[in-house]
Amino acid sequence: MAAASTAAAGADTSFRFPREYSFPAFFTRQTNLTTHHAQLSKWSALVLAYARHHRIFRLGLSAAADSDLFYNRRLDRRLGMPDIRELLDFMKRDGRIEYASGGGGDGAGGGEGEVVFVYWRKPEEWARKIEKYVEETGQKGGVLTVYELGQGEGTRGTEIHGIDNEVLLKALNVLVRKGRAQIFGQDDSQGVKFF
Amino acid sequence: MSRKGVGIGAFDRSRLTSAHFASHGSNLRASNAEALSTQLSVFRSLLQQFAQTHAKDIRSDPSFRAQFARMCSVIGVDPLASSHTEGGSTGGGLWAQLLGESVNDFYFELAVRVVEVCGVTRGENGGLIGLAELTERVSKGRMEGSSEISEDDVRRAVETLKPLGGSYAVLQVGKKEYIRSVPRELSGDQRAVVEAVQVLGYVSVGMLRDNLGWETARCKTVIDDLMSEGMLWVDKQTKGEWEYWSPSFMVDTDGAVKEGE
Repeated sequence: MAAASTAAAGADTSFRFPREYSFPAFFTRQTNLTTHHAQLSKWSALVLAYARHHRIFRLGLSAAADSDLFYNRRLDRRLGMPDIRELLDFMKRDGRIEYASGGGGDGAGGGEGEVVFVYWRKPEEWARKIEKYVEETGQKGGVLTVYELGQGEGTRGTEIHGIDNEVLLKALNVLVRKGRAQIFGQDDSQGVKFF
Repeated sequence: MSRKGVGIGAFDRSRLTSAHFASHGSNLRASNAEALSTQLSVFRSLLQQFAQTHAKDIRSDPSFRAQFARMCSVIGVDPLASSHTEGGSTGGGLWAQLLGESVNDFYFELAVRVVEVCGVTRGENGGLIGLAELTERVSKGRMEGSSEISEDDVRRAVETLKPLGGSYAVLQVGKKEYIRSVPRELSGDQRAVVEAVQVLGYVSVGMLRDNLGWETARCKTVIDDLMSEGMLWVDKQTKGEWEYWSPSFMVDTDGAVKEGE
């Protein structure tokens, strides 16, 4: 995953870090409760903006700790792993991240809890996007494969294109729960029917 | 040897002269006051005229606006006071006429933005924000095309909050002006540290000890106080002593930090 995210970073215009990123004390856990809360909010906003910019859907913790997101090499300041975990717990409470079970499947993460989904859009928000897309393209009542939705030509140019497969499934499941869609088929060739 | 003033008549005479002097004096004073008040009213009407002819400049140019406000306050005219036009026909004060028709307007609107920004940033700065930073943040939140805002405008907006009895005040510490939005006075020692922080953006116990000649314990106490009020952030990733940073340096030296590296 680290490779994928760096590739994306290279292709995009560079991310503009917020000013607190140049503030050395931003990388040390603050002892004052109020200050600490402000610090967590700022970090949370930074992680989401960063992930949105690079379209990062999952973050490998150990790789991220060494990336410029958490490691400001110019200042020689970094957010330590315990602080990153605390930040992720904070974001989890907001529904902004979720620990991926099974380490993300690509072996990069290693053990459990090493990869997180970063929800710069929550699954519910993606669900709304997908529903809108289906409606606008007149495919309501029709059947699409999951692959088509995420990688197919049809969604090219929309935000859905290139979405992480697991995030896509989470979004589709939101629609299933609402009775707006139905998923069927095997792991590799799942299809969705929209109502 | 003068024979003047001998006898009982002399008492009368001196009483008379002092009465003359008194009445003459009060006459003079009255006419003086009258002249002054005419002058002042002439001046006011001129000022109003001036304000009307230059309304556009006052509206659009913050430095011109500041100059104008300064001139007003020198003459003792408060352009914000709504009662200043005694005629009553115009009402609403000079600024009101100049800066927007739905009065209580420009500065009050600005004051609302000031309160918002102070509220949002209180967590990170403990309720003490640099005037420059505040001005920048307030300007950023405004709609495209609205007129520019100067520090002077913000200072004036903060003044309008005073009657509300809130804790908002302009605070001068060292060379820098701050807006305080918490009802807390800085102690002498705290002021000294806030001032010291302005130099490099941070202080350490050692820096305070060497530069202010304080005992280590005293340095630690003041830093702890400011930390507990949220006015300093600690950086523990230094090679040596911990450094305590002013949150206003998240903004002010954005460029300077870069250059320093």
